[in-house]
Order: sequence, then C-alpha cells, then structure tokens
Amino acid sequence: MLKKELILQNPLRFIGEETQDILSEGGFGAVLARAGVGKTALLVQLALHTLLKGKYVLHISLDDPVNKISLWYKEVFRHLTQSYDTKNTNKLWEDLLPHRFIMTFKVEGFSVPKLEERLTDLKEQNIFSPQMVLIDGFHFNESARTSLSDFKRLAKTHSLHVWFSVKTHRHEKTGPGGMPSPLLDVSDLFDIVIQLRPEGKKIHVMTLKGGPADSDRPALFLDPATMLVKNNT
Amino acid sequence: MRRICLKKHTFPNEGFLFKKQKSTHKMKNAINKVRNIGISAHIDSGKTTLTERILFFTKRIHAIHDVKGKDGIGATMDSMDLEKERGITIASAATYCEWLDHEINIIDTPGHVDFTIEVERSLRVLDGAILVLCAVGGVQSQSITVDQQMKRYKVPCIAFVNKCDRSGANPFRVVDQLKKKLGHHAIPLQMPIGLEAAHQGVVDLVSMKAVYFDGANGEEVRIENIPQDLLQEAVQKREELIDAASMFSDELTEAVLEEHEVTEKMIISAVRTGTLTRQITPVFMGSAYKNKGVQPLLDGVTGLLPCPYDVENEALDMDNGETPVILSGELEKPFVALAFKLEEGQYGQLTYIRVYQGSLSKGDTIVNTRNGKKIKVGRVVRMHADQMEDIKTIPAGYIGALFGIDCASGDTFVSPDLNLTMTSMFVPDPVISLAIIPKDNTSQINMSKALNRFSKEDPTFRTYVDDETKETIIQGMGELHLEVYVERMHREYTADITTGQPRVAYRETITRKAEFDYTHKKQTGGAGQYGRVAGYMEPINGADFVFENKIVGGNIPTQFIASCEKGFRQSIVKGPKMEFPVTGIKVVINDGASHSVDSSEMAFMAAARGAFREGYLKAGPVIHEPIMKVAVETPSEFQGAVMGLLNQRRGIIVGSQDEGPLCVVEAQVPLAEMFGFSTVLRSSTQGKAQFTMELGSYKQVPKSIAEELAKKAEKEKKGK
Repeated sequence: MLKKELILQNPLRFIGEETQDILSEGGFGAVLARAGVGKTALLVQLALHTLLKGKYVLHISLDDPVNKISLWYKEVFRHLTQSYDTKNTNKLWEDLLPHRFIMTFKVEGFSVPKLEERLTDLKEQNIFSPQMVLIDGFHFNESARTSLSDFKRLAKTHSLHVWFSVKTHRHEKTGPGGMPSPLLDVSDLFDIVIQLRPEGKKIHVMTLKGGPADSDRPALFLDPATMLVKNNT
Repeated sequence: MRRICLKKHTFPNEGFLFKKQKSTHKMKNAINKVRNIGISAHIDSGKTTLTERILFFTKRIHAIHDVKGKDGIGATMDSMDLEKERGITIASAATYCEWLDHEINIIDTPGHVDFTIEVERSLRVLDGAILVLCAVGGVQSQSITVDQQMKRYKVPCIAFVNKCDRSGANPFRVVDQLKKKLGHHAIPLQMPIGLEAAHQGVVDLVSMKAVYFDGANGEEVRIENIPQDLLQEAVQKREELIDAASMFSDELTEAVLEEHEVTEKMIISAVRTGTLTRQITPVFMGSAYKNKGVQPLLDGVTGLLPCPYDVENEALDMDNGETPVILSGELEKPFVALAFKLEEGQYGQLTYIRVYQGSLSKGDTIVNTRNGKKIKVGRVVRMHADQMEDIKTIPAGYIGALFGIDCASGDTFVSPDLNLTMTSMFVPDPVISLAIIPKDNTSQINMSKALNRFSKEDPTFRTYVDDETKETIIQGMGELHLEVYVERMHREYTADITTGQPRVAYRETITRKAEFDYTHKKQTGGAGQYGRVAGYMEPINGADFVFENKIVGGNIPTQFIASCEKGFRQSIVKGPKMEFPVTGIKVVINDGASHSVDSSEMAFMAAARGAFREGYLKAGPVIHEPIMKVAVETPSEFQGAVMGLLNQRRGIIVGSQDEGPLCVVEAQVPLAEMFGFSTVLRSSTQGKAQFTMELGSYKQVPKSIAEELAKKAEKEKKGK
C-alpha cells in the first residue's frame, strides 16, 4: 500500500510520461546544478522511485564514501515517508535495501572498462544486476566524450538507464537553449537534461532537453528544507 | 632553546633539539607536564610498534623487539604469551615514559573490534590520543569506529601516518581521507622526505627544517635545511598550515595580515588551541618500524595534546539525585578515582586507576562507591607493561595501579566523606555465546577462577550456568573475543576444557497488538489461588520491556500490581516461541479480578505468566537475529570473490569503495553466517584480505531459517 502511494505521489512523473520510465534502455539523463544546490538529492529521489518499482539501482559516486551516500538515501527516504507509520516505512526500507548497490571510486581510478569488469562480476555471480545506474561526480572535461561513448555502449549492452550529475559553474557561458558548457559538446548523447536553478529562496527544476516542455507541466521545485521535488510552491 | 607558549600553561619544548633524558622515576606532581594518552588505530597499523619505539626513545626500554620479531621476545607492551604469538594486542597495558621533562602515560589499546570495550575504557580515562593510520591503507573501518569512540568521549587527538616506507604509501591521500571520511580538519605539520624505500625523514613545516633520523635505531636526530626540490611544496604547505591555524589565534592572524614575522610559537599555540577543542587534527608522519618521525611525534604529544588540567571531568553526586559535579583536579581536594582495568598478576589482583581529584597514598582509606566498602590501600604502583614500580602517591591526573583490592572494573573510589560516581561507561550487550565443558574436577575449579576474573576484568564478557543443561555458557562480542578467553583459560589457568558450537544471541519479539484475559484459579484443598489479569501487549521500539498499569477502580488491588509485573518479567526471560529472550514489548493491564481470600502475590504472578503466554502467541511472535556490519578490506583483484563470499552468507552488500590498490566491501551479514569467515576469507584471498565486524542491528530471521531453528530446538529438547 505504502509503496503504491509513494509511487503515485511522485512529482517526478511530470517530467516523463505518466507510467513509463523517464529514460529508455541505454538512455542518458543529466541533472545539472551548481555545487550544493541538490544534484545528489535529486538523483537519490530518482533512484528511490525506481527502487519502489522493484528495480535495481547501482549508485556510483566519485566523490563521497559509501556511508555518506547511504545517509543521503536514508534522509531522502525519511522525508518521503514522513507522514507514514514508522513500522511500515521501516519494513519498506529493509525491502528496498537489497535492490541498491553503492560503488565508490576515486575520480582518477574510475574508467568504463573497470566498471564493466565490476558489473560483469556482479552479474555473473548473481549478486546484483542493475537496471538503473547513477553516476555522481563524473568529470565532464575534454576527454569526456570518449568515456561517455564507451558508457553508451555499456548501457545498451546491459540495458541500463544512466543518470549523471553535472556540476556547473557561475562563470561558465551557456550555449544554445541555455545548455551549460560542460554538456555542450556531448549533449547529443543525452536524452533528457534537467537543470536545478536557484532563484531567490526557491530551486526550480527545469528541463533543458527531452521530456515535456516546462510550460506543459506543473512547475516543479526542490524544497530547500527537505530537498524533495514538489509540484507546488 | 625555544619555548612554546600555550593557552593556559607554559610548556618547555625543545623542538627537535633533544635534551638528555633524565632518568628520575619520581612523580613530579607538575600536572601541566603530564600527558595521559592512548594510541588507537586499525589492526596492523603499527600501534604496538609505535609504542615500542616511543618507549625506546624515551629510554624506558633499551632494545627494540618487534611485534613478530625473529628474536621471539615480542614487543614489550604485548605481555601476554598469546598476544606475542598472534601479533595482536589484547589487553591494554599501561605504561609511562618521560619526554622533555614531561611525563607521558600511555595506554596501548587493542585494535580488533571484538575488544572494543578495552578501547572505550581507555578513552574514558585518557586526555588525548594518537590516531595511527597506515600510509597505504589510510582510514580503514576500525579507524572509523575508534574515531566515533573518540568523539563520544571528546578526546582530542593528533594523527600519525605510519608506514611511509611501504610501497604505495601516500600520506597526503590519508590526510584527505581524514577530512572526507572522518570529517576531521586534518592539517599536516610535516611532509615526508621521500616515500616508500626512499623515505628518509620529514620536513617540519613549523620550523621549516628537514629532520633526518640517523644511527642504528634512528636515535640521532639530524636537522638540516630543506632540500631544494621540496622547498616550494614546503612553503605552500606551511601557508596552508598557517591559514588553518590562524582561525584559533588573533595574534597569528594579525601577524599574517600585517605581514609580520610568523613565529613557531604562534603557530604551535594556535594549533594547540584548535586541537584541544577537536577543531584541528594535526598530522605527523613517518615510519615507526624504520624509526623515522617518532621523536617529532613525541614533541607533538607534549606540545599539542592536553594535560589533565585542560580537560574537564564530571562525576555524579549520588547524594543529590546524581547531579553532575565538576572535578577540579586539585591535590588538596578529596580523592576521586576510577578503576578502569583489572588484571590478575602473580601476587593478586592489580587494579588500574585514574585519579581525577586529590591524591592517593599508601595507607589511605578509600571507599568503593558501588558497594560502600572501605578499603585500606596497601601498595601503590606504577605499571610498565608487565613490570611494576612501587611509588608513594598517585596524584590527580595520573594513572597508577593498586594491589590486592577487590573491585570490578568501572568502580569509582572516593575519600570516605564523598559519595560520587564517575559517569557509567557504555557497555554493549554480548552477541555470541559458547558452552564450555571442563574435562575434570581440577579443570572445573581452574575454569571457575578464570571466569570469575575475566568477567570482572571485561564487562562485555559474561558467564552463566544454563539451568537446564547445567553447562557453563560464556558470552562475548565475537568469535575471536571468546576464542581468546578460552585460550587464556588453557594457558594461564591450565584448565582443560572443550567448547561447544558458538551460538548466536537470538531474540524474540512480537509484531502486532494482542489482547489477553487470563484467570488463574486453583482449588485443591486449603487456601486456593485466584487472580485474573486482562489487557494487551504491543510491539515498541527502543526499549526491551515496558509495563503499564491502567487499572482503575481496584479490580486488581494495588499490592498485587507489582506481582503482575514480576510475572511478566519472568516470562520475557525465555520466550514461549523458542526460549530466546523477548525484547521490544509493551504490556498494558487494564482489567482483572481478585478474591478476598484466595488472591495472593503468587496467584497474580502465575496469572500474569498465563496472560503473557496467551497474548504472546496471538501477537505474531518472530525471531530476531544480530546483523553485523562487516567491512572487508581486500586488494581490488579479489573484490569479486569477497562479494561472492558475503553474498553466500545471506549478506546484503551495501557498497564497495575503491581506494586505489585496495577496496573495501561493506555489507550487512547475519552473525550466524559469519562463523569461520576469517578462515574462508583468508583462503580465498591468499591471506591478503582482512575484515572487521560490529553489531549493526537486530533483524527478523527469514522464515526458512526460523523453521530450521525451531527444528533444531525441538531436537535438542528431545535430547535432554
């Protein structure tokens, strides 16, 4: 019951089609924002909603240790289920845990072949087989295109939906359609690009590419207190 | 000669220009020159080796014996045979040494998580600590546990990045991990001169000098100018250091802003202020095994860590509803001390104490607050690993030991006119038990002696006799914990014992609310028994058992309510489902009936027991098992194999952390599946992986396993 209610309440559904996943298999999504605005929080919400549907999520972090990522999940889940009975939410949390796997790498030690090796290992041993992959902290530099192309191949082979967090900077110029510079050269690889834009005390959730146009859906905001996506002010 | 002016006191500090050590063994009573420190870290980070070097450089020992040395002597601090053989430190031995006119009391703490209570106890009595980290392994799982404990007891610490001579050493990566993983504001006070095989010494960023360690054992400290190739980096790192330190000193900030000369005194003073408030963790580096960097670390201990005066200690006033009282640390005030460790020596029980206020001399009379017993102090000694030295007095701030005093660890000793107790220490519940069977009568006697002593020494080690099987059961914090005690019974007490299979401390609990209404009635001649108890039970979080009386109108007379509670309490000791203890249950009674003649305490106790059984079986009882947080550290190439092993053991893998050549796999695994894991892990990783585990939570046992347990329990019952 709780699971169903949480799925129905998910405001992120406004970004994709009602019941379909936002991304297709092998598709790339990106969450863009400046440091500290809420990229990880949004990624974790995307992950939690996928977990609620009984799917498996691999969260890869290139910055933070496993404990910190776990804490993010715990916090976001706690906020999501705040109004529900703790006994049920505890049970749900326990059910979700085996569906999530956190991997952390050093930025310099991370590569697509390495990830593929790990992934194959997990799948072969029947330990974990993800349907969604989140990559938090990937460096979008000059050589990113090669890695991302490799990634695309990997995502297609393993039927994965992949979400990236992309850090933007205030001083960087934006390209056509407001696309920030880190994504300019590789935006063709992405099916959906969401930007978190702080304005005053609000953080707007805008779609720069893919999904329904912002004007066709209710406005979405990130609540600064809970970091949850809300579809009202 | 340089002098470093610190916040409250003036500490003479010779920097790296060492003065000849005085060999006086008297306690000097200058409390600002006392340091009570602990050395804690992950397994195999080199704590014991470092302690050994400290003792050598402070002239407490005259030769170095390595932990697993070829000379077969073992490190001085590892005094138990077993410790020497296994290369691990089990009991924390206390010792003291002198450095630059300062007296340093060192507690060597065990690194294995099974012995955490020892670490916790030492931290309770320490004023500061050295957190030893491996330059290759970095911040490992145990370092995180130890760090949490330090936070709990607010122990300021300095870090020592050891093993800079090992291949793959990268001290600045460790500094980074200190920041990211432990949230410390880690500031290097040094940088290494060469790493791995080329490690020669360190650059002191405070004095901007290169420090080398010459001589057979690195005892000759040579100070030179910084090599040209390191100068630029050193200047930059010094700037970072000053930047961080200036947060804690106006004088330093002013000097920086007005571009005046920044003196060493200013930097040290600011860093010390930051360290004492746990806002800065100064980082030293070197290689204890290669005798590099130990002397500057000792300078750091004397210059940066607090003296007993800097630390505020609290006791609870038993006469005033346990209100906290600040202990002043003055010698003239009445005596207060905490017994933090017991050891059975050749001549009887040795009790390690830390004096917080007043002083204790031979012949004094003190009182044990726990039982009010008066004790006349016979001998007062100071310990140096397993050797001792008679002294006359232990003043406030010091660690010493008493002879032939009967007490338990954690007891508070005070002057006869006081009634204070030191705050109680956090003691976790045991998670594993083992039946032990003595072979003959002599072994039985020796075993009892050993058990008596161990349970006094270690509050996490418990023992009892099973009512039904009449077997002696020992309980502890892990397989190794119990293994070590069994081994000690063999060795130290020549008790010939065999052990049963280790058992997990399962628990029972209920999952839903259920009502009960039970009448206990017996009429067999003479006075009968009558009592009716009605109400409900429901699951609760965060408590083992809660009893609530909601009876109105005296349906159960007040004098029998306590008997009802007693009846329920008797029932939760062994749950009706599988005879495991019941936890997380709230019982509310709201109705009942009594008889003017036939009701008695006995009758209501029996009625409560009946009511419990009735309600319990309706309340969806389930079995819970301890789930351990397991962290396996392994070379990356074995990551897949390790995950496979954990997965086979009903483990949920939380994640994997890639740390360059090493990788840490974190998982939650039921304790029942972890027996013998160390052997399996060793064989699947060529002995290169190690793991730590600690109790995470209790979770419901899956149905299939619960059925297996039930079958096993039935079989055992039939066998009896």
